Amino acid sequence: MRFLTKNLSLPVIVTWLIYVFLLVPSLVVIPISFGTSNELVFPPQDWGLDLYRRALDPAEGWLAAAGRSMVLGILATTIALLMGVPAAYGLSRSRFPGQKALTFMLMSPIFAPTIVVALALYLYFATLGMTGTMAALAMSHAVVITPFILVTTLSGLKHLDRNIENAAMVMGATRLQIFFHVVLPALKGSVLTGGLFAFLLSFDEVIVSWFIARSDQPTLPVKMYSSIQWEISPVLSAISTFLVAITVVGSVVAAFISSAETDGI
Amino acid sequence: MTTNKLSLQQVSKAYGYVDALHPTDLNVAESEFVTLLGPSGSGKTTLLKIIAGMERPSGGRVFINGRDTTETPVRERDLGMVFQNYALMPHLSVFDNVAFPLKVRKTGAEEIRRKVGEALGTVQLAHLADRKPQALSGGQQQRVSIARAIVYNPSLVLMDEPLGALDKKLREQLQHEIKQLHERLGITILYVTHDQQEAMSMSDRIALMNEGRIEQLGAPRELYFSPKTAFAADFLGNSNFIEATVSEVSAAATRCRLSGGEELLAPRRDGVRQGDAVRLMVRPEHIRLIGGDGAAEDNVLTASSLGPTFFGDALEIRAQIADGSEVSVKVANNFEVAAAAPGQPLRLGWSSDHTHLFASGSGR
Ligand SMILES: Nc1ncnc2c1ncn2[C@@H]1O[C@H](COP(=O)(O)OP(=O)(O)O)[C@@H](O)[C@H]1O
Ligand SMILES: [Mg+2]
Repeated sequence: MRFLTKNLSLPVIVTWLIYVFLLVPSLVVIPISFGTSNELVFPPQDWGLDLYRRALDPAEGWLAAAGRSMVLGILATTIALLMGVPAAYGLSRSRFPGQKALTFMLMSPIFAPTIVVALALYLYFATLGMTGTMAALAMSHAVVITPFILVTTLSGLKHLDRNIENAAMVMGATRLQIFFHVVLPALKGSVLTGGLFAFLLSFDEVIVSWFIARSDQPTLPVKMYSSIQWEISPVLSAISTFLVAITVVGSVVAAFISSAETDGI
Repeated sequence: MTTNKLSLQQVSKAYGYVDALHPTDLNVAESEFVTLLGPSGSGKTTLLKIIAGMERPSGGRVFINGRDTTETPVRERDLGMVFQNYALMPHLSVFDNVAFPLKVRKTGAEEIRRKVGEALGTVQLAHLADRKPQALSGGQQQRVSIARAIVYNPSLVLMDEPLGALDKKLREQLQHEIKQLHERLGITILYVTHDQQEAMSMSDRIALMNEGRIEQLGAPRELYFSPKTAFAADFLGNSNFIEATVSEVSAAATRCRLSGGEELLAPRRDGVRQGDAVRLMVRPEHIRLIGGDGAAEDNVLTASSLGPTFFGDALEIRAQIADGSEVSVKVANNFEVAAAAPGQPLRLGWSSDHTHLFASGSGR
């Protein structure tokens, strides 16, 4: 009896209720995606892979959108890594005037309302006549996800023993040699984790893509969003299940990497 | 000038309003082993960082190998450095860690293999070359880091409390190994420690640091037997301090009177005048217990025993003298303890040559 009262106190029950409330909607799409109905119904009357067949049908355009999002995610993450990791190293290992301002500027896409960032990027690329191009999309996403790379890399750098770099410097290594042969190998875990999360963020991004992408070449989330506006197609449940799977796999891999890193492997 | 591997001229460092280092001079000759000894916060690391180039001095010049390196980047100073926490690269094997400074210098693969092999042999770790540092004990990791600091023959090797993280036995063993390494290879070492025994057993010379200054610089014996300040006397070895007033200054000696009425003789010291309040210091191992009417020393005090403490290799007897202060005496471990039971009267005797005189209120 005491055991029960101790473990089922009100805060615990409330916490679990909130979890369930938040989780169920995203999990409910999984059974729906294995139904055959033409509307979103739960629970499904009949079971089958009909919805997946439709999702994979090239004529529906889902596959092309997914491919586009994949390419976009990889490009944006690459750009963000190339900017964020060296920036984090520079910011954490030197002192210069205007450093705080620069840090704030690099982080600002997190604080600014996404819609404002999206509008700003749209106006900028419109001036350059680049809206609708993959290059513009990739750069826009890179702006949005770089802060996350910056944060994970900075936290990795905080745990790195400064004396290892000092030792390398005394032994005659240049800043560049230290970055590539000492810092980067030691940061492998944080950089991979940060990169993975950044990729997922890009893959998930709607607002900026909505502004920048060509309407006949949408990214996967944009296509999902616009398709909801006309009809709530049950195909979405199959796509959503696919997205949930990607996110879960990505998070598990990231968690695995970071736990391997703390184990010192 | 050129024979000095290191020469500091009026080097100082201020962090904001904190004077971490007052203007300091120091020369280290080729193949010399010099130790910066001092309590925590006395400026040892600050001095080492300035020499390495990791901190910019607020004033003064740094010469390495006769060359003014005050403005030289860290990597061009031709130094080796060993840190307390080893600072090995976790993703590299022992071999690759030691090879790192050679690779940076674009040394050929064959020569790298030979030199790393030699260096690892010197620290007796050749058999662990393929291991990752995390798979080694603390003592082994520090040996790797020492091999890494000597493999490229730098002008000067800096060591900042390299044994501070190791337990006592291992520390003593590595002290011995570093000392041997120094003698065999003739490397020049500037060593930092707060452990006075470590400093005395290893160094050719000790620079005793206190509050951002070198308080005394000299051979270990010099610091131990002729401390210039009460701080030096207190920091190196054990010491008894006795408060007194100068009653007479003659050409040969200073006669001092204790508040208990006894008189003690100390060597003459310039600037000390009759009536000055002074502190006398005598080391516990220089005091003899004089039985009955045995041969008298020129300094004798009667005291009452507070009891003996056994230390294995020696016995310490604490005693209270007439003015109420405590004096400890070190005697051989086969001493008959009954004679020093609490309350027993004792006669303490020592030579005036072993008495050190300092101005009152100086030191800690
Ligand atoms: N980066 C710093 N900023 C401000 N004060 C410092 C800094 N580094 C050292 N100090 C101060 O300088 C003094 C000497 O420090 P340090 O050289 O580290 O002493 P030690 O190595 O002998 O323990 C101390 O009072 C310390 O607090
Ligand atoms: Mg220190």
